[in-house]
Amino acid sequence: MTDITNTDASLDQKLKEAYFTAGQGQLIWQRFKKNKSALAGAWVLIALILSGIFAPFLTPYDATIAGRDKDYMNGAPQIPIFWDDNGFSIRPFIYSFERSRSIKTNFRWVTEIKSELEDRRYVTFFAKGQEFKFLGIKFERHLFGVDRGMIHIFGTDSTGKDIYSRTMTAINTSMAVGTIGVVIAFFMALVIGGVSGYYGGKIDAVLQMITDTVKTIPSIPLFMALAAFVPDTWSAEERFFFISVVLGLIGWTTLARRIRTHLLSERNQEYVLAAELCGASPGHVIRRHLLPSFTSYIIVDLVISFPYMILAETALSFIGLGLKDPVNSLGVMLQNVTSADVLLNYQWYFIPVIFFIILVLAFVFVGDGLRDAADPYSDAK
Amino acid sequence: MLQFSKFVAVRAALAVLTLVLVSFIVFTLMELVPGDCAERYVAFKSSQGSVITAADIQIERVRLGLDQPYVQRWGSWIFNAFQGEFGDSCILRVNIAQLLGQKFWLSLGLCLSALLLAYAIAIPVGIIAATSKNAVLNNSLRLVSYLGLALPNFLLALMIMLFSTVFFGDSLTGLFSKEYRDAPWDYDKVMDFLGHAWLPVFILGWSATAFAIQTVRALMSDEIGKLYVTAAAARGVSGRRLLMRYPARHALSPIINSLGFDLNRIFTELPIVALILTLTEAGSLLIEALARSNDQQLAGAIIFMLTASIVGINFITDIILALTDPRIRRSIVG
Repeated sequence: MTDITNTDASLDQKLKEAYFTAGQGQLIWQRFKKNKSALAGAWVLIALILSGIFAPFLTPYDATIAGRDKDYMNGAPQIPIFWDDNGFSIRPFIYSFERSRSIKTNFRWVTEIKSELEDRRYVTFFAKGQEFKFLGIKFERHLFGVDRGMIHIFGTDSTGKDIYSRTMTAINTSMAVGTIGVVIAFFMALVIGGVSGYYGGKIDAVLQMITDTVKTIPSIPLFMALAAFVPDTWSAEERFFFISVVLGLIGWTTLARRIRTHLLSERNQEYVLAAELCGASPGHVIRRHLLPSFTSYIIVDLVISFPYMILAETALSFIGLGLKDPVNSLGVMLQNVTSADVLLNYQWYFIPVIFFIILVLAFVFVGDGLRDAADPYSDAK
Repeated sequence: MLQFSKFVAVRAALAVLTLVLVSFIVFTLMELVPGDCAERYVAFKSSQGSVITAADIQIERVRLGLDQPYVQRWGSWIFNAFQGEFGDSCILRVNIAQLLGQKFWLSLGLCLSALLLAYAIAIPVGIIAATSKNAVLNNSLRLVSYLGLALPNFLLALMIMLFSTVFFGDSLTGLFSKEYRDAPWDYDKVMDFLGHAWLPVFILGWSATAFAIQTVRALMSDEIGKLYVTAAAARGVSGRRLLMRYPARHALSPIINSLGFDLNRIFTELPIVALILTLTEAGSLLIEALARSNDQQLAGAIIFMLTASIVGINFITDIILALTDPRIRRSIVG
């Protein structure tokens, strides 16, 4: 009997010890784990990011014009199935097809699906396909393919590019744009918010005036004005880099404001005074004492501002001012979808939208979860 | 009263100062675009067959006043801008103020209606959400507000177009039917306009509504637990009367303050939504100016006017707050 209470007490003791000696990171992780929707969001996010990184392997074809299927332009999604009237197959398969156009079809391409047994195209796994480079090493195996012809599980666009392959690559692009944008916005916010909050007074007033002004200008029209500078002669990569930088240059205001507010309240604390009395320089005090006091808030803010960057890029590319064709992004893929032709006949152009809603939602859930977890008072509620 | 007019004067001066700063940013951006108006005019003449020399460009520059120093040109630009005069677009060769005129007011009207719609929905729904303990209601509202971010207005517009084309065979675009496009305003045209305008207003208001519900709910839940509410309830005030007279009044004043910010969010998406719904009467002119022709005069004028309306709203809400909220009035009058 006493034995049990003893172990109980010691267990309790251990738990308490673990709680009081836990670092900031451990505490946040403990609270984050309890939030089911945030945790689910985190898993979805990790899955999406990984599928973006391993896109060349996960997708059967190259996402650029090199991977196009010239026999199946504007083709409907081909969903692999296991059985039909001709019986069951342990390997999933799709059908062959024949496309034709004539005066009878009003000169539109019409696809005739051939569903006989010999027309089945079987899905193969770890299929040999186009060569791709990953981490500098050449590979030619893709996760799946078909034994003859090509497979397009999300269909193809007007030039015959595989929409599934493009979607996966586009996740990568969005993440890259978001990362560059967030990093630049972060440094600007850190410098401007840091100086403004630490010195206060007149410097603060002037910097706040500038921040407020940048904040009043509607951001996407401003993005558009900046993006219009890009000369047509720039390569896709230069464009990509420029757009990411522009997103960062405009997106810093909210974070700068938060850093400033926090610094204003922290800089009158005793530990700052102590450091100053010891002869620490302002830069040292900001770097070593003030910033670590709210690292977690900064991280949370960065996660929260990520989806805004992605959405801004999408909007810009969508109207043709952002990224251009060889680079894949959701906005690039959505160019030209507003035509009646696409709306009526090729609805699979919209499949990538689902992935991006999921990506943004995952970011929002994780960001919200992190914000609650980083708040030391959220336990009390 | 004297202090109050002093407060208004200070606010107005701040608003003007913000606009001057904005105009500086916008003007600098316009200047950075390669090529100036003189080159464009002369290039146009050159395309008409006349032979052009560098001296001709220089003469044109002098005629347009482009040889004057930067600060002076900025000064005259902003001086004219405050009078609603933006000069001529050197690509379209028409007066910008005339070109924008009605279009700008239509766009502004659409955005303000979207803002109105957002709060007409958000205030009652947010208050109900804060007071009710219904888990289903709360969770579905949370989902809506998440979707407000994840499904931005232009994607929503695309989706609505997709569904209406597939199911109704009509893409619901444009602001006027064909027969009314150039007709003068009369009863029929107004009716036709309203028949088309509800969709852009709904789409523009969508994200704003989702955010506003979240804000109202958070502010309300903060206020509702406070002691003065309990005290009022103890005095026997209850139900809707209690909510409206006590916590709602406190919860809503920060919202008035953020109206300018909400308008900013709506303006941000206006050009793209306008492009999707082919509202040629509204913001798609901006895209036209930037993407197709690189018309910096027109683009600068539009951005300046958009920002000016936000600054204007901010100024008005500041004054309204000072008039209606006794706590703020107190802090001004002292």
